[in-house]
Amino acid sequence: MSILSIENLYANVGENEILRGINLKIEPGEVHAVMGPNGSGKSTLSYVLAGRDGYSVTRGKVAFKDKDLLELEADERANEGVFLAFQYPVEVPGVTGMTFMREAYNSRLRYEGKQEADAMEFLKLVRSKAKDLNMSDDMLKRPVNVGFSGGEKKRNEILQMAVLEPQLAVLDETDSGLDIDALKLVADGINALRTKERSMLIITHYQRLLDYIEPDHVHVLADGKIQRSGGKELALELEANGYAEFAGKG
Amino acid sequence: MNTPVEPDLPFNDLIDSARGDLAHQNLGKWLSDIKEKGRDDFYKLGWPSPKMESWRYTNLNKLAKTRFCLPRNTELDKLPDQNILPIDAPKIVVINGRFKRELSDLSEIGEGVLVNSFQDIRNEQKKLFDNKHYAMPPKEGLPVAALNEAILSDALFIEIRAGWKSEVPLHIVLIGYGDHIGFSPRIFVSAGENSQIDILESHAGDTGSTYFSNCVSNIQIESGARLGHYKFQNDTTTSTHLALTQACIKTDAVYDNFVMSVGGILSRNEVRSLITASGVECCINGAYLGTSNQHIDNTTFIEHAAEGSRSREVYKGVLADRAKGVFQGKIFVHPEAQKTDGYQMNRALLLSDKAEIDSKPELEIYADDVRCSHGATVGELEEEHLFYLMARGIDAESARRLLVEAYLGEVIDEIQSQKIREILSKSASDLLKEKLFESSDG
Repeated sequence: MSILSIENLYANVGENEILRGINLKIEPGEVHAVMGPNGSGKSTLSYVLAGRDGYSVTRGKVAFKDKDLLELEADERANEGVFLAFQYPVEVPGVTGMTFMREAYNSRLRYEGKQEADAMEFLKLVRSKAKDLNMSDDMLKRPVNVGFSGGEKKRNEILQMAVLEPQLAVLDETDSGLDIDALKLVADGINALRTKERSMLIITHYQRLLDYIEPDHVHVLADGKIQRSGGKELALELEANGYAEFAGKG
Repeated sequence: MNTPVEPDLPFNDLIDSARGDLAHQNLGKWLSDIKEKGRDDFYKLGWPSPKMESWRYTNLNKLAKTRFCLPRNTELDKLPDQNILPIDAPKIVVINGRFKRELSDLSEIGEGVLVNSFQDIRNEQKKLFDNKHYAMPPKEGLPVAALNEAILSDALFIEIRAGWKSEVPLHIVLIGYGDHIGFSPRIFVSAGENSQIDILESHAGDTGSTYFSNCVSNIQIESGARLGHYKFQNDTTTSTHLALTQACIKTDAVYDNFVMSVGGILSRNEVRSLITASGVECCINGAYLGTSNQHIDNTTFIEHAAEGSRSREVYKGVLADRAKGVFQGKIFVHPEAQKTDGYQMNRALLLSDKAEIDSKPELEIYADDVRCSHGATVGELEEEHLFYLMARGIDAESARRLLVEAYLGEVIDEIQSQKIREILSKSASDLLKEKLFESSDG
């Protein structure tokens, strides 16, 4: 069974049709990169998968394993195992990282009908995950993302992903706003989370993230549609030639 | 039979029965003098109407048309513990405005803290009111304070001796109990030089009671003293709470005031502090939570009358359903109050289209070398915050609760006393679950 199966997906943001017939299948353990120019619908795709309000699907199907993903609320999708790493992680004043992540973690346990973790258990878990990723857990004492640097915000997303252990991670422009050192740290974190079961969908404008995270498949998204698919060499081709070839198609 | 002086003013019955209160006859003429004076002042000042600037947003017409009588009973077998903050501290119990020594627990209070009431005036045959610390402050523009005196039945006198540093907070539990009764708690606090204490006032009612509590606190803080003065107003849902706190702060003293208003159908907390000397730190903060058709008014006045003092004021509130909030905050800086540092911020979160906040910040500054700033925001929960939490698996209701709790948590963090901060933070969290988010887990 595929982890994610998107068939002929059309979606609007407000009145505007942004996605126009996307087809994509992701198998367990696969890493897919969706690349495309600005305005091609990359972020819309990630929000549609995560279930954000205001993004309405007009046609098509999305299955997550054997579930109809589009029937589920955003929180249910997360609890089923879909994780969106945000392009712009949101600052949440007053809620500490620890509270936020424990609520998230316990929501998942409740959803699965399991016993919630108490504060001590959870603290131990987070510390060990942070250690695996070579990160300090200090940021968890601060309100979520408030005053964080771009790099800290992205690493915080990766730590959340490590704790929540999703089956499918959608990484939306994870490289944006990062200098090369921060990019490398974040990429290391993502690579550490690659497993045979966990699939990833990497959404990116530039090829450079793919220097550090090697994809199995690369797709070019333009005008709301996948225009071309190939192996990792397609990313290099795009880097050399740009997206001009795909402009105006669709 | 006396002819009422001003028959159009409300609460004539209440005032008349307070005049003839037999229970007070043995207390002496001084009390009748206070009540007489209070009544005259009340008639002179008039009942607050929306035409008065400071009462523009809080309409008391409905209250004025409601009949209240003096409490016939101040005995209560059992305190409504579920409505009182669970804090491990010496406890002063006041039922319907009267101090109940037998229900209080002053065993751990320490020798530097003295608690008296009218009962003690009689017993000791001395007039506590003669003590300069307990002088009645002027009531210009404060008709509610005049009414308090016109129907006065008791008062608490709390003295913290100079140099006494209390390890434990003092919990004043004020309970309203009865059907359509009106009473006027009165509290005098005198914090002696270099003394330190935290005082928590818990205002609550016996479930099912309807009352009008007209409470006045007079606070005197001597040089170098530090007074934490915290209030949790959780009166019954049908009751009215009109309160005035007047604080007078001297050299290098710290006054940390916090009011949390969650109860009553209508409440107003007016906090007025007068900074009379330099080196003062005055914090007037508060949080409120309004649901159904509650009306919650926070009115503050900070007067800088001397050079080189600092005031800080942060109020944050959450309003749901048809609740209405009022914030009026004025900072007044006298010409001689150079180098004043004043900060004021009022923020409100509206959780429904029908909730409303009226916010009126005011700076009146007559000195030229001061730093004063103020700001106000009104907002709703942000979709991007909610989505971020939901994208991590947190259901919509729990996400909202977390965000609202965080919103109030930020102002509760202003409380300097760790013990009180923790207890009010816990209580805010519980109240949000109870009043706004009944269905959410966790």
